[in-house]
Amino acid sequence: MKRSTLFRRPPAPTGADPTGTGDGRLADFGYLASDEVYLDAACQSLRPQPVIDALTDYYTGYNACGGRVKYAWGQKVDREVTDTRRAVLDLLKLSARNYATAFTLNTTYGLNLLLQQLPHDRFDRIVTSHIEHNSVFLPTITAARRLGVERLVLSRAADGALLYRPSQLEKAVVVVNATSNVDGRPLPNLADLVRDTHARGGIVIVDAAQAMAHGTVALQRTEADAICFSAHKMYGASLGVVVARHELLASLELGFVGGGMVTEVREEDFDLVQGDPAALLEPGLQAWGEIIALGRAIDWLGGIRPGGRTPADHIAGLSTRLFDGLTDIQGLTLLNDTPSPVISLHAPGQDSHRLAVFLSHAQISVRSGYFCAHHYLKQQLGLPPLLRFSLGLHSTVADVDTATEALARLMKGLH
Amino acid sequence: MFCIAAFIVLLVMGAFSARYRRHLGTAWSCTVRRVTFRPCDTSFKQDVKDHLLAPIAVRRPGLVAPASIGLEVLAVLVLLTTLWSGYTVLTSAANLYVYGTCNKQDSASCTLGAQACSIPDESPGFVDSLAAFDLLGAFGNEFASLGETLAAIPARFQTWTAEDYLPVNASYLAETAGNPTAVEVIDPGCTYCRALFQNIEEAGFAGSYNLSYIAYPISGTDGYKFPNSLLVTRYLEAARLHPLPEAPTPVDWQILQRIFTGKTAAGLPWQDSINSMSVPEATATLTGWLAEFGLTPAEVDVVVAEAGSDRVTAIIADNKTLVEAKIATVKIPTIIFDGRRHDGLVAVDGLR
Repeated sequence: MKRSTLFRRPPAPTGADPTGTGDGRLADFGYLASDEVYLDAACQSLRPQPVIDALTDYYTGYNACGGRVKYAWGQKVDREVTDTRRAVLDLLKLSARNYATAFTLNTTYGLNLLLQQLPHDRFDRIVTSHIEHNSVFLPTITAARRLGVERLVLSRAADGALLYRPSQLEKAVVVVNATSNVDGRPLPNLADLVRDTHARGGIVIVDAAQAMAHGTVALQRTEADAICFSAHKMYGASLGVVVARHELLASLELGFVGGGMVTEVREEDFDLVQGDPAALLEPGLQAWGEIIALGRAIDWLGGIRPGGRTPADHIAGLSTRLFDGLTDIQGLTLLNDTPSPVISLHAPGQDSHRLAVFLSHAQISVRSGYFCAHHYLKQQLGLPPLLRFSLGLHSTVADVDTATEALARLMKGLH
Repeated sequence: MFCIAAFIVLLVMGAFSARYRRHLGTAWSCTVRRVTFRPCDTSFKQDVKDHLLAPIAVRRPGLVAPASIGLEVLAVLVLLTTLWSGYTVLTSAANLYVYGTCNKQDSASCTLGAQACSIPDESPGFVDSLAAFDLLGAFGNEFASLGETLAAIPARFQTWTAEDYLPVNASYLAETAGNPTAVEVIDPGCTYCRALFQNIEEAGFAGSYNLSYIAYPISGTDGYKFPNSLLVTRYLEAARLHPLPEAPTPVDWQILQRIFTGKTAAGLPWQDSINSMSVPEATATLTGWLAEFGLTPAEVDVVVAEAGSDRVTAIIADNKTLVEAKIATVKIPTIIFDGRRHDGLVAVDGLR
């Protein structure tokens, strides 16, 4: 379909921050056409060229299985995968003595692997909050049913803190997000929550899908029992990651088993691999290329300085500009009170899906709907489908301005 | 409404492009739910509308609302025209089966049926009635016509026996004992009747069947479709009432033979010539033929006098009823033989 040129800005040169102010597109996203505005990084971040290259290198240079072969390609895969596991722990400043890094399909899959294999008779309740993604909300329902325990759904404060009484954490499995995918709300009392939960014999599993790209500081040195996230939301290839304590992994009542998890197999029994707790969540062949690409994404995140600023600072600046731009538009109701890389809104009288289609025609990609947070947005807040703008390191000031101007023009014309 | 219209459009576009075919399943699901009075369980309608409106939205957002209303109106029109098209196809098919023409009002305009001169339906058509703001009449006439067609379907299954449709004073082109009877409905001015007669001669039909005819001058908007058809018919019926016993071929058949196969001194077919003659010219021509065919002047006078008689008028009226009510054909010629009714021109092979 031919798309409108009205909102397009003049083609800008690609390259490493051509303006020198941090306002230009990073050269690592040079493949993105200058007139394309992608604002759905909360769903899936764009991949920088080094990550794409790492994945391509694997497929074209040493496309071997890991963890089971002796030839050179396989040995290289094993080294790269080991490096990625270590890089993940380093990023979170966690020790390999206590934690293991396992890979899976995505955050949802990782959370389910943990929750659906929790041991019976150890926990009395499962605790979560209203503002959770379906990846948390749904498996906590089924896990509570499987374990035969109660499930508490708690509220979060405006700043994102979980509102709880310590007694509610008694032998609890607490599953909460570190950053909301609706409005970017953080979990500032994560450390207190972990401490209080552990004091009462419980465990804390963190959904860090939205936090890992630009908010790892809040997760570093956390004492949480497990942290689940998706590489594809932090500039990596499509991959899920579970960082979990050895004790938690060892306690699981394994239901998903397969090759790579065992040392011996007999007619009616098998021996699990020892000394590699991560293997307990990795039945079968893994996505080796994607794991290696995650290692490259972590390297890239550690070294990139858009406009001389840290990724978090760069995103914070764009977030403020986006928040201000959207706040200035008449007829919009924002869910956010403060700037955030993830901003959701709706326009009373206008269908968000329609607005998203209209913006798409102007080559502006934003998300519409309930963002897999149906309970919170639809049932609890009673909101119509929303429009969500989410930023990534590929985003520029021009992207933000183009999007806000386009939406402003639409809103003015549609009313 | 919009879902159904979109399905129709996608169905047509999907015939030419796979790009549209992939949406057919969703559109069909939505359509099924709508026609069974259930809400559509997908966002199909919204998606289609949004994508259609998007180019307008990015250029002139203020036009989205009126364009959206326009799309809804367009959907209604698409649906109505599709329903009407479907109805027309079905009624045309029924008419083609029953009457041998897809257009009962003007059978000659339908190329799917055999060639023929049409007997016009005098009731106003649907569009004509609408143009006259007669909504009730438009639908009333339309459905009455449909009912008539449906009611006539059983007639297509019946065995047509020519003897049941012979006019009074039937005369035969050739009469051979033991030959089955055939009867044709003709208008002396109709060119397809001329063609049929020529086919009959070429096929040697008269050697196999005892062929008679019903002369039926087709009505037109102003009198008769062919101006001198009634005059010729009067002479034919009069000649039948006063046959010439010693004639090898009945005089009325000789008149028909002359009209359908003969040519003037200028080489013009007699039928064309008579169709363009004034009444006195046609009368003089017919009178001259009677003498030529062996009638004495006194006998000619009798036939001429009879042609203008009430008796002949009554016979023609009876024949009209026979054609319109009993045979119920809308195409001239129609010929009944071999247990079937054949509407329109029959080819030579069909007559053998």
